[in-house]
Amino acid sequence: MKKKSSIVKLSIIGVVLIIGIVLSFCSFDIGLTTYKSFASSISLGLDLKGGVYAVYEAVDDNTENLDERMEGTRTMLLNLLVQKGYTEATIVKEGTTRLRVEVPDVDNPSEIFDIIGKPASIRFVLDSSNEQVITGEHIISAEAGYTTQDGYVVQLSLNSEGADKFYEATSNHVNEYMSIYVQVQGEEEQRISQATISTAIAGGRAVINGMGSYEAAKNLADQIMSGTFEVRLALMDSSTVSATLGEQALFYGLLAGIIGLALVIIFLCVFYRLLGVTASISLMIYGVLMLFFLAVLPGVQLTLPGIAGIILSLGMAVDANVVIYERMKFEYKNGKSIMASSYAGFRRATMAIIDSNVTTIIAGIMLFIFGTGSIRGFAITLLLGIVLSLFTSMLVSRFLVRCFVNINSTNPKLYGFKRGKGFENVDADKTDVAVQRKMDEEEALKEEKKRAKKNKDKNAGGLANENI
Amino acid sequence: MKISNLLEKDFHLVEKKKIFFLIPVAIVVVTAIFMLVYGLVLGSPVNLGIDFTGGYSIDITLGTKLTDDNRAVYERQINEIFEDLSDENGESYGLKVSSIQLQGEAESASLHVLYNAAGDERLMDEVINPALQQKIQAAIFKIVPSVAHESVSGGGSKIVLSYNFSLAVDSTFTDVQKAIRGALDGTAVDSIERSEDARTVTVVTSSPVTDEIVSKVVEAATIDDRFSGLVSPGNTTSASFSAELLWSALAAILASVVLMLVYIAFRFELTSGLSAIIALFHDILIMFCFMVIFHIEINSTFIAALITILGYSINNTIIIFDRVRENNKSMYASGSSATFIANKSVSETLMRSINTALTTLLTIGMVAILGVRDIKIFALPIIIGLLAGTYSSICISPAIWASWKDRKKKDKPSEPKKELKKAATV
Repeated sequence: MKKKSSIVKLSIIGVVLIIGIVLSFCSFDIGLTTYKSFASSISLGLDLKGGVYAVYEAVDDNTENLDERMEGTRTMLLNLLVQKGYTEATIVKEGTTRLRVEVPDVDNPSEIFDIIGKPASIRFVLDSSNEQVITGEHIISAEAGYTTQDGYVVQLSLNSEGADKFYEATSNHVNEYMSIYVQVQGEEEQRISQATISTAIAGGRAVINGMGSYEAAKNLADQIMSGTFEVRLALMDSSTVSATLGEQALFYGLLAGIIGLALVIIFLCVFYRLLGVTASISLMIYGVLMLFFLAVLPGVQLTLPGIAGIILSLGMAVDANVVIYERMKFEYKNGKSIMASSYAGFRRATMAIIDSNVTTIIAGIMLFIFGTGSIRGFAITLLLGIVLSLFTSMLVSRFLVRCFVNINSTNPKLYGFKRGKGFENVDADKTDVAVQRKMDEEEALKEEKKRAKKNKDKNAGGLANENI
Repeated sequence: MKISNLLEKDFHLVEKKKIFFLIPVAIVVVTAIFMLVYGLVLGSPVNLGIDFTGGYSIDITLGTKLTDDNRAVYERQINEIFEDLSDENGESYGLKVSSIQLQGEAESASLHVLYNAAGDERLMDEVINPALQQKIQAAIFKIVPSVAHESVSGGGSKIVLSYNFSLAVDSTFTDVQKAIRGALDGTAVDSIERSEDARTVTVVTSSPVTDEIVSKVVEAATIDDRFSGLVSPGNTTSASFSAELLWSALAAILASVVLMLVYIAFRFELTSGLSAIIALFHDILIMFCFMVIFHIEINSTFIAALITILGYSINNTIIIFDRVRENNKSMYASGSSATFIANKSVSETLMRSINTALTTLLTIGMVAILGVRDIKIFALPIIIGLLAGTYSSICISPAIWASWKDRKKKDKPSEPKKELKKAATV
């Protein structure tokens, strides 16, 4: 009974795994829609697949401190791109007056590049005195937002000087009008908003309301941001760009990964026999889940450092299995039965595995918080990988090992177990059959209760006898 | 408790700690010497890649001529031009292409070539970059026909030259005809005709021609296409991995090290945490030494390799300290020295250390063997880090832990009895 149910469970896992592997690698048509495999749905970074580039030229006549201002602009532009979700964007300075931006594949690259190339200057003016209150240089960030009161807005946060000026002007001119003028490069200046100052505004926040849509708000926010750059930039050139690591990098990387994994599986199966088989199955489950999450998690972009994160977490998944199986061998060597060893192996190895994984999780979180660009990509795949590795090694492997031990708990050769000196003649497995029988009886009892509930009459006693 | 298995025999690793500590120290000393030598001979102690140092870039616009098929050929040509460029004394400048990216499509298709600086700004601007521009222009902007050569009855030869370009303009065809006649100097030429679509030229001779002459014909029939593309002058490119990024990476690494130390100190002991962190720094240092000694280019991928080993090294060490923790608590270990416990724990987990190192090496080793150049440069330091990590987790961190522990015990009045410790081994 126990044996049978174990075989059934193993078969189910096998079938699920095969389905998982098929879903991971095969794309096919279902009716009118096309199913895209996990592997082909993963979005790849600049280094593996390429993306788009843009070259901006500084169009300032003012050449004073140009290098310094270009450097400042580069940082601001990078921050803007990161804020927009292009965490892996790279910007290099070409020559003395150009910035070359590369971002991974995006839906509509020309749009963002255009916006950056068309900076807007902004000023808040008091209508009564025509006095300029704040300008672009006082703005730290501009973001699109939505408020129930005003609809779509652009929220500006001001630096301390801007905040002071804004507070002063709004507190001295309550119930007067203030207008916001925006001039997009190459166009006429427009008054985009006029509002009554109802109260003094402190805290360094200003809002431009009356944006027609979220898109409009976002565009204006981006244009205002690029208007704050220390150098005026004009878009010179933008197009697609191929992978920095070369076209072949991904193919050979994948090939290496598959061959490497196959070798690991062979090694584990030779060295740990049936236990190696369980490790291999759980590694494959790890692989399928990894591909699945890389494909579905939003904002995950696979780059070379990301692959490093996967390799590390895969290594830790293998390590966890090795730690457990070595522990089992150790327990068997010192006189425990196969079944007892298998239980003790997991129990004793758990602490070690959790501690080592938690330490690595800490490292991953710190790298995620403090790291930028590709380091963050590494942190994401590492954290994902560790969670999956813990799941597969602590739960899936444990489950599989139990199933196998239930099927056969008397032949140590199947597991690569050997008795140590002084324990050669220990025959714990014999006594263990009793343990197993007891467990079977409990199981049978449970089944019987279930059946009783369902009001089906079947002889549970007969079932228990099968296992002997 | 007796252990007969050879792998689990007590190697007394902790007692041999002086040798084990000496090896990394020796590696560091050798590295320092290498850095000095490289600094004096090559001018830079460390081979920093273009990601950190910045360099130069050239854009080669090839327009519609650039197809998927011939891209590899162009890239090879470009690589050769850069590597072969030498000064008037025939000494190579040591230029190296760091990456070639395809930009745009169809008419706007161009190759963006990144390469290192091979001298000061003046040399680059006045000598190297113009020379590169000229050489690329001369080498790439040519239309080379493909050739088929066969003998015809009567002892003559037929050479068929196919172009991916139409020779419809008469003056172009006459030029080609003239050039081919020149190359076939001394051989009787029957006819040189172009096909209807003007894409193939057939040369028939009345006497046989050698392969040598055929290649001369091809050379002569190659059409100079100087104006079909554009090579931009070489331009400086700043480092893509700026100082800010480097600092944020360092901050991230430091923050993780500190928090890991806190966690280990909390879950194990402060001494375990410190030994684990020392092992971690050992591994990273050895990786760096490897890159320096073999003068391998250090790029931003090296940062990724470093943080990979950061995770691996700690994982490796913790498993052994977990066994130390367990053996420390167990009955038979009470009263025995930390050295004894460390030795025992290392032996008990030795098989695991070896197997884990082997399996991880299998995967990353395949990456190193099969990967393209940049991937290899990424995989190599990881392999070294893995080996260093295995070494430090077996030979260094347990030894440090044990020495600290035993010193503490010695300071206390109740010294452990040596006899008791010995008895426990049997």
